[in-house]
Amino acid sequence: MVALIWVFLRGSQALRRYILTRIALTLPMVLILVSVVFLVLRVMPGDVVSSTLGPKASDEVRANIMQELGLDKPLVVQYFTFLGDVVTLDFGNSFIGSRRPIVDELGERLPATIELIIPASIIALSMGLLFGTWAAVRRKKPTDYGLRLYSVIIYSMPIFWLGLLLRLVFSVWLNWTPIAGRIDVITNTTLHRTTNLLVVDSIISGNWAALGSVLVHLILPTVTLGLVLSGVFVRLTRINVIETLQEDYITAARARGIRERAVTYSYALKNAMIPVVTVIGLQVAILLAGAVLTETVFSWPGMGRYLVERISSRDFIAVQSTVAVFAMFVALISLAVDIVYSVLDPRVKY
Amino acid sequence: MATTLENPPPESPVHLEEWEQELQKVGLVRRILRARRWYGTDWWFVTISTAMVVAFLVIAIAPQFFAKYDPLGQVGPRLLAPGELPAQEILILPEDSQYNSVADFATGERIPIAVQRETPSSEAARDEADRVTEENAAAGSDERVRLQIQRFETPGEVLDTVVAGDAVAGVMSSSVFKGLADQYPTLQSAGAISSAEQDATSFPLGTNQVGQDVLSRLIWGARIAIIIGFSAAIISFVIGVPLGLLAGFAGGKTDRLMTLIMDSIYAFPGLILAIAITAVLGPSIFNIIVAIAVLYIPTYYRIVRGQTLSAKEELYVEAARSIGAKSREILSRYIFPNVIPSVAIIFSVNVADAILTGAGLSFLGLGLPPSTPDWGIDLARGQEFIRSAWWLITFPGLAVMLVVLAFTMMGEGLVEIFNPKLRER
Repeated sequence: MVALIWVFLRGSQALRRYILTRIALTLPMVLILVSVVFLVLRVMPGDVVSSTLGPKASDEVRANIMQELGLDKPLVVQYFTFLGDVVTLDFGNSFIGSRRPIVDELGERLPATIELIIPASIIALSMGLLFGTWAAVRRKKPTDYGLRLYSVIIYSMPIFWLGLLLRLVFSVWLNWTPIAGRIDVITNTTLHRTTNLLVVDSIISGNWAALGSVLVHLILPTVTLGLVLSGVFVRLTRINVIETLQEDYITAARARGIRERAVTYSYALKNAMIPVVTVIGLQVAILLAGAVLTETVFSWPGMGRYLVERISSRDFIAVQSTVAVFAMFVALISLAVDIVYSVLDPRVKY
Repeated sequence: MATTLENPPPESPVHLEEWEQELQKVGLVRRILRARRWYGTDWWFVTISTAMVVAFLVIAIAPQFFAKYDPLGQVGPRLLAPGELPAQEILILPEDSQYNSVADFATGERIPIAVQRETPSSEAARDEADRVTEENAAAGSDERVRLQIQRFETPGEVLDTVVAGDAVAGVMSSSVFKGLADQYPTLQSAGAISSAEQDATSFPLGTNQVGQDVLSRLIWGARIAIIIGFSAAIISFVIGVPLGLLAGFAGGKTDRLMTLIMDSIYAFPGLILAIAITAVLGPSIFNIIVAIAVLYIPTYYRIVRGQTLSAKEELYVEAARSIGAKSREILSRYIFPNVIPSVAIIFSVNVADAILTGAGLSFLGLGLPPSTPDWGIDLARGQEFIRSAWWLITFPGLAVMLVVLAFTMMGEGLVEIFNPKLRER
């Protein structure tokens, strides 16, 4: 956030205008997504209350709950109430179980998801750039075909299956990594939580035992998510490096006797990276969908698992809120990626 | 040397166009076959993946011919490893024993046999003794098998007795003996006690926690996968293509609004939207199809709209308009046919994506009733047994991967064969 403001203040007039336009475009996107969510959950056949209570609930109980949730009001009123909830981030209390405010529960879950997707993106991106460039340089050689096959296979793998296999090998057979969760139960009691990003929390409080436990728990989920995403980046990098290697300035660089390795990595890769970075914004969707499944496999207490848990306990108010928060999260990340991109590549204009 | 179909050109854009024109003159099948030399490894990718797709389709259409067992019935013991024989009662003899089977006991004397108390072993031994006696009687011999059964508390005591020579043989379950065989090097198994049990079958991919055959469930799961994949892809095709045509052709505010909506859906994590939809609609195969179809409408919309936008400016559309063709005619007779090839290729990749998403949904326990033979459900149910039964979580996922791989590779290979210019990318 601070970085954003800094970029905004220090940037050129054009950059500032771009950022403003981009923000202006994000709002309708969030609005549409939130409306789609509302539409799906309210207008589609299927009644929230009867699927929550089951068919046996008496009419009186039904009416009470309808009133409590505001479902007795006209659809338009419900829609604007929901939009208001989204704007103020006040989704009411969870309908079932703890009855805590939903926004508190999500506040605990979102950091867990963030802690999962950041290392996963780093793994995916570094593997993608490395292998993609390698495949491009060895184009039409066995290495190239091997890496392309890797990217197709990894793309075709159900992410939950990859997670289960890694868990089988490394947690069950080799016993190297813990089988599930974010942190050991015992270590957990010693850790003081402030941000709910456990890596940050354990560093702040200087609790090195906790840090070790958190990092060990992070390995398998992030590797699973990172590997699945890496396939897309390998392909993209490969194609872009191949294209860049055919440019005139590459030939010129070679003619000047610059070593091939330097040509590839500092001339070609640098320029090929620009389109790859753009695509990160588009990968957010795949990343979050993958996170939902990864969280389920590794019992990772993030947003995705919360969503699935709430669906099985039929708490539709929580489901609706979670999906709305996901929508805002997606919009925010792609906004951030686009702004970073516009700073990196001065040619971008709206 | 002239460039002909038999002599594919070296890879240079100049020859490429000539060769492409040559290719236009022959039919699809010959085109694909002849393309082999030029496409090299890519050709093999396409061929192998197409073969896999065809095999998968055949299995999905008629699973009953491929599955040996009922996917919903208990057909064997629980959690039997792939290729492992179900546990059976075996005869255990010292290595230097003069007997080889129960039939050899038919000497008229009482033969001491050691068994463990409260196991089916003694009954199995008696049954087999009676059977041999009857068989001998039928053959005109009066030699009977008479067993003197000694019961012990533990399998170890049974084996000790046989080693000490106090009993001629022991009878126990093969799975018990397997764990003890190392401690008794002088004993050996003489095989299943009765000939009926010797026919006991193993299961190539093992059985699951309720004794269902994993392979048969996988085969029937192909049918669910294909129904979900194709139906979802067809529905999104049928909705997405006309919307894209209309938006691209109409332009203006309609186009801008629809594109905004479609882009928003496209940018949203599809699985999460599908989760929300199936959660409301409730579990059924139809609802899962609807949920997945919604996700892929924007994919078709975006491509068709883009193509329509560029086709709209082409000369032939201009010409059609000038001879007074109506908008509907221009759309359906001039633009639509030109949009189809690129959409057809997406379709294959789309089926793959839909199968993957469908498996994800059923893995999360959404969308399908829990007893359905479905790959995602089998994986979800198998993960409880990750410590004891590796095969339950290995094979269903492998099936999903192979199918998705086949459809994806076929789609991508077709792009390259239909559209040689892309190859230079």
